[in-house]
Amino acid sequence: MYVIIVYDIKVERVNKVKGFLRKHLYWIQNSVFEGEVTKSELEEIKTGLLDIINKNEDSVIIYRFRTDDAFTRKVLGVEKAPIDGIL
Amino acid sequence: MKKNYYLMSDGMLKRRENTVYFVNKDGKKPIPINKIYSIYAYGSLTFSSQAIHLLAKEGIPVHFFNYYGYYDGSFYPREKLLSGDLIINQAQHYLDHEKRIFIAKKFVEGAAKNMEKVLKYYSLENKIRSILPDLDGCNIITEVMNVEGRIRADYYQKMNEILPENFNFDKRVKRPPENMINALISFGNSMVYSTALSEIYNTQLNPTISYLHEPSERRFSLALDLSEIFKPILVDRLIFYLVNKRMLSEDDFEKDLNYCLLNDKGRKIFIKEYDERLKKTIKHRELNRKVSYKRLIRLESYKLIKHLLGSKEYKPFVMWW
Repeated sequence: MYVIIVYDIKVERVNKVKGFLRKHLYWIQNSVFEGEVTKSELEEIKTGLLDIINKNEDSVIIYRFRTDDAFTRKVLGVEKAPIDGIL
Repeated sequence: MKKNYYLMSDGMLKRRENTVYFVNKDGKKPIPINKIYSIYAYGSLTFSSQAIHLLAKEGIPVHFFNYYGYYDGSFYPREKLLSGDLIINQAQHYLDHEKRIFIAKKFVEGAAKNMEKVLKYYSLENKIRSILPDLDGCNIITEVMNVEGRIRADYYQKMNEILPENFNFDKRVKRPPENMINALISFGNSMVYSTALSEIYNTQLNPTISYLHEPSERRFSLALDLSEIFKPILVDRLIFYLVNKRMLSEDDFEKDLNYCLLNDKGRKIFIKEYDERLKKTIKHRELNRKVSYKRLIRLESYKLIKHLLGSKEYKPFVMWW
């Protein structure tokens, strides 16, 4: 499935969350990651995030799509980090 | 899911935040470690040992190609999937002449039948069907190789009829390729070889024990064996596609006195389309589900394992469409 994760985290933990998500997903712009994951990988991401965040202060939203065909994506302005396999 | 990454520009692979960063003149680009299947390095790549530790831990092979696009070698991480039983069987099938020649013939048969399918698509008459039965009479590997050589000679000759005139060629020339088609074939074959190696890495097979090619070649020759079957499917069809659709032209090659090679732009076009093909799926007849071309190579390794362990006789993959 395809997920989009957006977050709003207190400054002291925000880099931790970013670093953690970088292992699994593509950084799109500030506080937004997306990418294709398996069910188990999503569970891994969820438990990983819960370890880092403070449930009383931080907020993470996960949008799930069946596939990446289930939505369209349009960028206005600058595409900050294009997802590309040829570098 | 997991993707192949092709590093075409010069740069550096670093470990940061437990993932890898590719740093080049355009800046730093993080690559999610869990999304890497294997890495193909074409530019000059600097590589920290920290990065190697991480790639080894995650079991990601890195294939290196030199300036001319030739396969140089791989960073083949420590094997995680081990089976002593299978290695013994693999060696046994090599040592027993009858058993070895049986598998070798299967690889040639698979390759030949796929070449025939490729030509059939363009409705070209060919001699492959009439040469193939000669395989039955072969008792030594060189004879098998000989039959394969004859099939290939016929096949390459027929390729000219599919290609536009300026792309025609007389014969297969390697190291260095003399003309554009030879350059494309060489480049494509080295890609299939490394793709096959990545697949073998994910099975218990030992990549050095091979059957058609001699295992003493100081290469991972089992990958050479397996890629035989897939070269016509993946490389040759891609070449016809790219050339006939005029996606590649003479400007995409670098020509010198005695050699011809793809230049950076040509390489990028080729790799992009090659990667698309690996991801393309077909409905598999036996499994009754969609399978990508890359996965087909893995399934081929599994079939070989079954054969080596004696549970099911190996039958090479032949396109059925």
